[in-house]
Order: sequence, then C-alpha cells, then structure tokens
Amino acid sequence: MSAHGVVNRPGPFCSIQDLGRRTGRRAGLAPGGAMDQRAYLWANRLLGNDPAAAALEITLGGFSLRFAVETVVAIAGAGCAATLDGLQTGAWRTLRVQPGQLLRLGYGAVGLRAYLAFPGGLDVATAFGSASAVARDGLPGLLGRCIRPGEPLRWRAPGHRCPVRRLPGELIPPVSDSLTIPLVSGYEWAEFSRDDRMRVFDSTWTVDSASDRTACRLAGPPLTTGPRVLDSTPLVDGTVQVTGDGLPLVFMRDRPTIGGYAKLGSVDPIALDDLAQARPGTPVRFVRAEPDVLRSALARRESFFGIRDEG
Amino acid sequence: MITFPGPVSALVTLPVSADRDGIARVLGLERLARDALPDVRATIPAFNRLLIEGSPHSWDPVDVEARLSAALKECVVKVPEIDGGDPVSLPVCYDPELAPDLEDLSVSAGLSVAEVARLHSRTTYVVLATGFAPGFAYLGDVDPRIAMPRLRTPRRRVEVGSVGIADRRTGIYPAAGPGGWRLVGRVPSALFEDPTERIARFRPGGTVEFRMIDRDSYEAQCG
Repeated sequence: MSAHGVVNRPGPFCSIQDLGRRTGRRAGLAPGGAMDQRAYLWANRLLGNDPAAAALEITLGGFSLRFAVETVVAIAGAGCAATLDGLQTGAWRTLRVQPGQLLRLGYGAVGLRAYLAFPGGLDVATAFGSASAVARDGLPGLLGRCIRPGEPLRWRAPGHRCPVRRLPGELIPPVSDSLTIPLVSGYEWAEFSRDDRMRVFDSTWTVDSASDRTACRLAGPPLTTGPRVLDSTPLVDGTVQVTGDGLPLVFMRDRPTIGGYAKLGSVDPIALDDLAQARPGTPVRFVRAEPDVLRSALARRESFFGIRDEG
Repeated sequence: MITFPGPVSALVTLPVSADRDGIARVLGLERLARDALPDVRATIPAFNRLLIEGSPHSWDPVDVEARLSAALKECVVKVPEIDGGDPVSLPVCYDPELAPDLEDLSVSAGLSVAEVARLHSRTTYVVLATGFAPGFAYLGDVDPRIAMPRLRTPRRRVEVGSVGIADRRTGIYPAAGPGGWRLVGRVPSALFEDPTERIARFRPGGTVEFRMIDRDSYEAQCG
C-alpha cells in the first residue's frame, strides 16, 4: 500500500492522537489523547470527520510533510506557522493540497501544539479503543512511539472533497499570556494545612519547563505539610498532585491511573487544553471551581462536537 | 466515605483494610454502582477505593451520593463473592544472583533463603490494584513473616520480571526502570515481550500463583 504522504521532519515531539482510551484504565494504561482537545476537535470538525478520528499532534513546529496524493487536510491549534510550498497558509482552516506539495509547520509566535487532521482520520492500528500514542506505556508500533523522519502515512478518505473552510476569528480559542484555572478541591485537600490551602489560591504559579505530556509542573512557593498517603489512589483527569518538593503538578493526558502522593483535587478538564498550550513561564492562578458550571461546559462541548457517550 | 474529586467523578473510600477482603468489597461495589448509576464511563478499583467516572450529561452528585451510599452499606455488611477467574500462574526463580534483596530479607526475617522462597510461592495472591506502570499489579497478602518495607532509596534500575515485596504486597516489574520494592525473585523476561499480553495479564480481583523454578529452567525460559 503506498503512502498518501510522508513526514519528512516530525519536529521535537510528533505523535498520533485521538480522544484517548477509557477501556485500558483498569489495566493501568494512560488515557492518552490530544493534549489540546479543543484544537484537535476543531481540526476534525473542519473536515467533517468523526470527532475521534486519529490526527497528528505536532509540538513546537519543526515539522514537514510531503503529499503523494491530491487531498485536503485541516490545521488547528497554536504554536505553528504553516506554509505550503513556502507560501503562508495560517491555521484553523482546511487546505487543499496537490501531489508533491510540501506542508511545513514552523515554530509559532504563541502556544506549543498544533493538530493536522486528515479526511477520514489516519489509517492506523488501535489498541484498547484508541490510536493514541503513549511512549511510556510500551504498546506496539506507532502506539508506543513518536513519528520518525520518513514515516509514511495513510488516511482513510484521501479522495474526500470538502470546500475550503476557515474557522471564524471569534471562534478561534485565544492563547492567553496568563491562565486562571478552576480547581475542584478533593482527595487530601482537607488534610493540607490552612496556610497551604490559602497559598494554593493566593500564589501565582508558573509553568515549569520540565512539563510534558504526563504533567504540567508548576513552580512557585512550595507547600509544606502534604499528608502522607497510604495507598495509591485512582486519579481523575487533571488531578493536581503535590510531590516531595512541595510543588504542585497538574496531570495531563499521559498521566498514570493511580497516584501515591497527596493531591489537592483536580482542575477544570477543559482547562487542560489551555495548559497544553502554555509555554514555560506562563503565570497560572487557581480559582475555586463550581463543579456544576464545569459539568455544564463539558456537556455543551461534547454535544457541540458530537462526542458519543461510550462506556 | 464518598467524595467528588472532579466535576463528573466520585471516589468511594471503603472503611475497610486494603487487603484481599477490601478489594472484594470494592469490586462488589463496582458491580452495584454500574447497575445503579446512569452512563458510567469508567471505573477504577484500587485497594479499598473505587473511582467512578460518569457523563456530564447525566451526572447529578446528590443522586449519585444517595445511590452509592445504599450500595456501599451492602458491601460493608458482608464481603461480596468475587469471580477471581483462573489464576495467572507465573514461574519464578528465587536465586540471590537474580534477586538482590533475597539474602537481606532472609537474614532480617530469620529464615533461610529456601524458606523465604517457599513462603512467597505457596500463597495464592489476589490483585489488589493495577497501575504504577501498565501491567504492574499490587498482589496481596504476603505472609507476614516475609513482609518488609520498601527500600528507603529506590534503585535506579530494576530488571524486567523482578519480583518485589513491599510490606504485605508483592508484584512483578513488567519493564525495566526505577523501583524501590525488595527484590526476591525473577520471572523469565520472555513473559513480558508481548505488550498486549503483558498489559492485559492482571485485573483487579484476579488471582496469581507463583511456581518455583530453578536457575537452569529460568535461563531456558529466558531464551
């Protein structure tokens, strides 16, 4: 089977992602999935794809792909300056391409991650219900590694025709210079000292450069008296854990399923998209969340993008 | 105790010890919760806790709490029957050359190496939790005579297949990496080569048995 396109340069961290896996959690598999799900969902939406179609997550640019067929793709997200055969195209749009054309995604002005979606989604193997690559989990083939230079790609509906669509400016999610993130207090929250609990909300934290797909690490004034946790506890998306150095981290898509350190609660699941685009040094403040408000927002997003309620 | 660590999730901590009866109660609760709650998307049982994730379209914390409380009472009153399935049987070589903590543990337990191996391999263990790494299972309960706390400073590298003890738990490292459990044996690495098999091997509530093998047999099975 011949490739529909070949990745010439993958950039520092390029992998196949979708909405992640639920069924493997009982076996200890990371959820995985697109770090910025909003951008990923828009990329598929622009093409009229299934919302869970496999796409490429491109980190910090440095990416190029040469097409072998006439087709259409969609680009969404931040952190990329897209050009087709050297001509600027911009993001948040679909793009018609001809055989031999070269699409580049360079280092952009803001954000970290961009998504490249293909008609019908990438034609790749899945495991435990998802095509998401989680390097740490050691699943076979592309499920366990990044895209390599020269990687051939095929997608399911290369001949798909769709008009060139651009997302209206008012719908493009802004990348903020600073983040205010709703925090649902939970887990060992009540066992932290009063001072610690105040410090969580009163401090300005900054995104640390050691952040990755597993965790967004925060720098700031260390907390003091995290309680000792006897047994590892099941984690929810966006769990905020305080490790031995007293600094909080927000677990991202490649997180473990259980965690043994003291935890403050969890952030708004939608705010994970913003953290996914936050460059090191971005200031972060926590505010108390209203769980009802977060739940409604999640429900609206799922309805809007047509995400099905699978068990 | 029922808490809500996220907008669409509930965490139940059962007021029981985190041993084989504990996980039986958690699995009983999991079964009841899946029937009693609408649109359950995922559940994670671990030790004496159960995490339940629901749908933002139907999650009502007041209703969830009421239904879970009722189910919880049922599981605390008596230990539910669980279907452990066929035991997973794994060959283990208890050789100090493959298990760097075996001699220390035998000295501190006041037992011979052979006796430690015998006590470790004669128990049918129950999977109390999975996680830490995919394919890692926390197994209990280890005979109290060979229970030992984990190393104060974890090793930078533990070989794949290493069998460790941490307090009343034992487990097998499914991949090489850092780890702090006391290493008392080794399962042939060939059993960890197929990723899907390695990851799907253990499930909470399942049972695990160890078969003692000698060094020659171990080497042969490593291929």
